[in-house]
Parts: sequence; C-alpha cells; structure tokens
Amino acid sequence: MSRITVDIDLNRVEGDLEFQVDLEDGVVVDARCVGTLYRGFEQIMIGRAPRDALVITPRVCGICGTAHLYAATLALEQIAHITPPAHAVQVRNLCLMAETLQSDLRQSFLFFTPDFCNAIYAAHPLAAELRDAFTPLKGSVVRGTLKATRDVLGIVALFGGQWPHSTYMLPGGISQPANSRRILDSRGILAAVRAWFEQSVIGGRLEEWMALDSADALFRWQAAAGGRERSALGLFNRFSRDIGLHRLGRGTGHLLSYGVNPQPLSEARELPAGFFNADTQQIETLDQSQINEHVRHSWFLDYPGGRHPWEGETIPDHQPGSDRYTWAKAPRYGDKVVQTGPLAELRIAGEPLISDLLAREGDNTWLRQFARLRRAGWLIGAMSETLQAIKASMDQPHYIDPGIDIWPDGESYGLVEAARGGLGHWLRIRNGVIDKYQIVTPTAWNASPRDSAGRHGHWEQSIVGLPVPDPANPVDIGHIVRSHDPCLVCTVHFIGSQRKTHFNV
Amino acid sequence: MANIVWMQTGACSGDSMALLCADRPSIENLVEHYGLSFLWHPSLTAEHRFGDVLDALLSGREKLDILCIEGSLMTGPNGSGQYDTWKGRAKIDIVRQLAPLATHVVAMGTCAAFGGVHAAGPNPTDCTGLQYLNNQPGGLLGADWRTRHGQPVINVAGCPAHPNTMTRLLAMLAENEPLALDTLNRPTAFFSTLVHQGCTRNEYHEYDIEDNVLGGRGCLFFNLGCRGPQTVAPCNSELWNGQNSKTRAGVPCFGCTSPDFPANRDLFVTPKIGVVPKFLPLGVARAKYMAYKNLARAAAPERVVKREMEP
Repeated sequence: MSRITVDIDLNRVEGDLEFQVDLEDGVVVDARCVGTLYRGFEQIMIGRAPRDALVITPRVCGICGTAHLYAATLALEQIAHITPPAHAVQVRNLCLMAETLQSDLRQSFLFFTPDFCNAIYAAHPLAAELRDAFTPLKGSVVRGTLKATRDVLGIVALFGGQWPHSTYMLPGGISQPANSRRILDSRGILAAVRAWFEQSVIGGRLEEWMALDSADALFRWQAAAGGRERSALGLFNRFSRDIGLHRLGRGTGHLLSYGVNPQPLSEARELPAGFFNADTQQIETLDQSQINEHVRHSWFLDYPGGRHPWEGETIPDHQPGSDRYTWAKAPRYGDKVVQTGPLAELRIAGEPLISDLLAREGDNTWLRQFARLRRAGWLIGAMSETLQAIKASMDQPHYIDPGIDIWPDGESYGLVEAARGGLGHWLRIRNGVIDKYQIVTPTAWNASPRDSAGRHGHWEQSIVGLPVPDPANPVDIGHIVRSHDPCLVCTVHFIGSQRKTHFNV
Repeated sequence: MANIVWMQTGACSGDSMALLCADRPSIENLVEHYGLSFLWHPSLTAEHRFGDVLDALLSGREKLDILCIEGSLMTGPNGSGQYDTWKGRAKIDIVRQLAPLATHVVAMGTCAAFGGVHAAGPNPTDCTGLQYLNNQPGGLLGADWRTRHGQPVINVAGCPAHPNTMTRLLAMLAENEPLALDTLNRPTAFFSTLVHQGCTRNEYHEYDIEDNVLGGRGCLFFNLGCRGPQTVAPCNSELWNGQNSKTRAGVPCFGCTSPDFPANRDLFVTPKIGVVPKFLPLGVARAKYMAYKNLARAAAPERVVKREMEP
C-alpha cells in the first residue's frame, strides 16, 4: 500500500488556493487546503480614519466588494448607534442582490460548467449539447451569461457609480437617492435579465419554477417539456446527476447564514440569519459571540484554541516545513466546522425545494451548485419587489448625516450574506481611529484549514474519501471544489514530475 | 493572432471582473474580431493548466505576445516572496522569468502598476508595482527595465482599471497601433482626461458651491476628499458599466489611477491651506485660483446656490 502526496493548484479571488492531497491506493485519505496569498488588509486598516474602511475593504474582493462595503457600513453604524433611513436600506439591498446575482451566474456558467467540456466526457450522449452551451467564451449559455451579468451590474452603477469598487454606502444612508430615471432603467435591465433567465437557464416561467417545492416536483416539471430539458439548468441537472455529482463531495452538515437583506428600521432580515445544527437538525439563533478563529495550522503567530475576532490577531509567521500549511485561518462556530453559502442561506430560510433535496440526499456537489441557481431565481424576484419598495419610498431621505467629527471608541461588527456566504467585519475604534479590523470571509469558513483540535475544514472534509482513478485528470476534485464556489475557476492540477512519495506503509 | 497570458499576483481579481464588464469592445469581441487568444487567464480559460503554459513559454515552445499582470508584487517576508506563491514558488520569481519573454508587458490595475492598496502603510507584505513603488521608479523589475523591443511596462492604472480601457488597450496592441505613454507610462489614449471632465457636478464646482456633508448634490472637491480635478482617468468621459461614474453618484474620486492611491490620510477629508484645498486642480496657480473662486461664488445663480440642479 503506497501513500503519495499530490499538489493541486486552484485559482482564486479571496486568496490563492491549493490543495495538498494524500492518496492511499487511489483514495484521498487526507487533504490540506492551502491559502497561498497573504495581503495584510487587517494591518493596513490600523490607525486609519474609520470611514476609510468604506474605501479600503471593498478592495478585499473584486467579486463581492459590495458585500464588503455593506459589512463595513453596518459596523460603523453599529458603533455610533446610527439608524439608516428605509430608502437607503432598500437601495443597498438592491445593489447587493445585483452583485450576488452576477456572481451566481458567472460562477455557474463561466467557472463550474466548463468542466463538462472535459475530454473525458467526449463520449457522453450529452457531450455535443454541453459543448454548444458551455465552451468558454463561445458557448451559447456562456455568451448569454456574459451579457446578462454585464447588464445587471449596471444597476449597481446606476445607484453607486460603478462596479466593482465603489463607496456609495455611507454610515447614515447612501450617496444619492433613487429617482424615476434610475428606477425605470433598473427595471428595464432586470426585465431583460429575467427574460434571458427564463428562456435560456430554466426554460420556463420563473414563478412556476420558484413554486416547485420538492425534488419530485422539480424533476417532473423538468421532464414535462423539451425546452426545460435542453435549458442550461436542464442540461446541468441531467448531466450532473448522470455522472453522480449528487453523490459526491459531502462536507460538514452544519450550516451558517447571517441573513439576507436587512429590513429598514428593524433587526430582521428578509431571509433570516441562523445556524443549522446537523446533529439536532434544528435551526438555532445566530450568536456572533460563538464565532472564533484558530491559527494552529496557519502561518500566523500562534495562540491556543480559537479567538473571537475582537480578540483576534493577524501576525504573519511563515513556517515552511512545519505542520502549518496556509495563510488562511480556521473560523469555527463554537466548536463546529460549518459551511456557508446559498445552500445554507436557503435551508436556514426554510426554502421548501432546497430543504427537501438536502433532507433526501444530504450536502453534495450537485446540490451546492443547484442551490446557487435556485438563489439566482429568488434574487430576480426579490429585486423586482425591492424596486417597487424603493419607488414607494422616494419621498423619504436617502441620507441622514450622523454629524460625527470624532468617531466614538468601542467595538462593533457588521454581518452580511455575500455571494459565497456569511461575511463579517469586526471593528474596534480607539482615540477616533481604527484600532483593530478583522474580516472573516465566507471562503475563510469554507476553505478553512484544520483547527487546534485537528478538525478539517469543510472543503477538506468534502474531498477526504474520494477515489481518484486518474491523478492526471482529477476531474471529480474539480467538480467538488468548484461547487464550493472558490471565487474563480480553480485549476485542478496534479504535478507529474514533482510527485513525491509522502511515506510508504 | 496574438496570445495573452494574464497572471494574477497579489490581487482581489477586481480587474478581471472589470474585464468581464467591458462592452466596447467586449472580451468576446477581442477574441472574435481582434485575433486575441487567452493562453491563460485564471478565471476564463479551461483548456490549459498554468504549469503547462509556464513550461511551454519557458522552453520556447510557445511565444508570448502580451503578458498582463494583475495585482501587487509581494516581495515579503524578508524578500522571499512567500506571501504570494504558486506551488511554493514565489510569484515574483515567475513574473521575473516571464517578463523578458513577452513582446508587451501590461500592468492591469494600480496594484501591478504602482503597488496599490496593498502598498498602503505600513505595506505589510513589502509589495510593489512592476516598475514603480508609488511615485518612485524602480519596482520589481527596475526603472530601466525594457521589453526586447525597448518598451517599458504599460501601466493601465485604476482600482480597478476601467473595463473598456483594458479591452481597447489590448485591441490596440493586437493591431500593432503605436502607443504613446505619459510620464507614468500610462497610455495617453486613455489617460489624457481628468475625472473632473464630464462630471455632472461641474457646474457646482464652477460656481464654488461646495458640499460639507456627503449625500448632497454639490461639488465634493473642497471638503469631502474628491480628487477628480487632479486625477487623470476616463471615468466621466467613458462611463462605468455603460451607466455612471462615482462622482456623478456622489462618491468622491479617491484618485485610484494615481501612484499614491490610497492616500495616507482621511480619504473623505480634503487637506487644506486656509480655506483652499492644498492640492489644486492640475496645473493651476494658487493665487489665481483663489481670485477665480471668489469671483465665481459671487456669480453663482440661485438655482445652483440652492442646489436645485440634479447631478
């Protein structure tokens, strides 16, 4: 029995990612998820004026900068007890939804489905259809996605000036109000995106598809019309399930969501926050004080156990050749390894179809990706409703100047659902400037390394136990890892010549 | 046919995401109508693996026409480059190997051009741009570095770089159009316009009607940190996402195409000498500017003073 270690490199946004995988007789027996990039944002923030977070932190991520802007804004509002007006909250939600919709569509059809054009599937009966739809930069669905996502980001630009990297959310509101022109333009954009989604992605009416409430209903609906079978989603479902992606890549069952769309003048969110405990199958109230980060296997100055972000440190300490292997920390909820993202978001909100699929088949590669497209459908409807609400609140203020010269000392946090799941900013102000800024991204949760108790992170768990028949083309690992939405396409790459024997048993 | 290798170093991927937003030309059009092909892009290509691409380029089996670098070049800790690696190798070493092979080297975004947001104090990763660290020539490759055709790194500055600026620059390179560069090696075809030009708040600036708090309709230059009158970028002459710009939407220009972005001061406050901004519109003499502003304010029409005009 031989054990070998192979390296797999993954492309990234939230940080470069590589996997080191130990194979024993062709089966993954251990996996180490390696964050290969350290950028030092948390150090850059120290000593700066608090509002600078609104300019600096969106630059953490080119795909979800709106989510960072929102989280930073909420943290600043919490520390100074600022309540933004309803109109501003609605516009913020609209913009974040547009960004998330963009990310879900690009992730699905620019980053995930290109793998279906892999040479190993050339003999599959669907191969020609898959290539026509999903070939990079050329496939019909890819072309439609490029256009739809380009267009939908126009909504963020109408209100915020540009996407990515703008700063239109401010403690106390937003930088400019909606007006009839912006609303009409947004409605026009959304209507076109919806028409494309119905025609090309689901092959049917959105309301009908969103009303499906069980696995049986979903597959019955899809099989009832040729257009639905041949749609992007129909192809995705038929092929994924034919090659068994619904039986592949189970990670942790614990789910975390910070809740979608803060509601005006209220603590509530349109989709609620919560923690789904897989042991009890119960949804528990979210308690941010349960969040803690470990660095036992990370290249940071060590401390015992986990620390809440307010107590956290980010002091790099590169130790090659040790049992530390990543620039990522290991966030945990209490002592639980969790996953976050659209599956968690929709399950915690009790969405019937996703809840049924999860109960029947458990967490898996197909379902994580399906949940992302399910959320895209939900977002299109929710954006329409939000635009109506914005129209109804146009006579209300969009910004109330908090009149702050010197920001109050204290601690606060801002939690939002970014495209990839729960995103948190934790802030401390001393003497009017930022004293500590800790950011826990969704990918930090999902791609976390082992913690101080040796527990693997979610992605690592989802790989362990996987048979890898052909290390030269480990396409299943690609499917699994990409279904976690690792920000960009990840290139699964086994080194041939440098493969080293880890140890022999 | 020209091929492109697009490599990300210390990046947020914002330039890649902006690239997908370009519409004139779009990325699809670049491939279809300008004969450009992506040998490697971290989010767009699926055919090749980075290691194979690297081998083909370094062995000379494949030529390299355009090398685009997105992201700061991390040299830390202690010069090792281990803050940003590919399979344990410092990315800066890979960039140093590839740059001499390319016909054109393009810094896509302010990070690769000047260091950018990651180089903000205290620059925890010891990062730099390809040929500059902020205003200082040098950077990773050195101030005197040139391609084999005698060209420096082309700096397509911006955080992110403007979508259509990126695709138009690539189209120009594909067509072998002559390329003039400014003193910071930014292509003058796109960097000869101030952000101020085309800002819909210009009338407020013209009459010195300046806002003191955010969220208003007036000009953001005097009090709220806006650097539009000093920043060379196409943001208001070529709108973002086909729709708008930050300053039109009431967001100060933070000068993201400039080598010192982000400035090491409160970004929402305009530094001043007396009541006048310390940094004036590009090239303006202080005494004359103050005289003009005093006259301008006196001439301001009621509709502007009352901020009746919507930007």
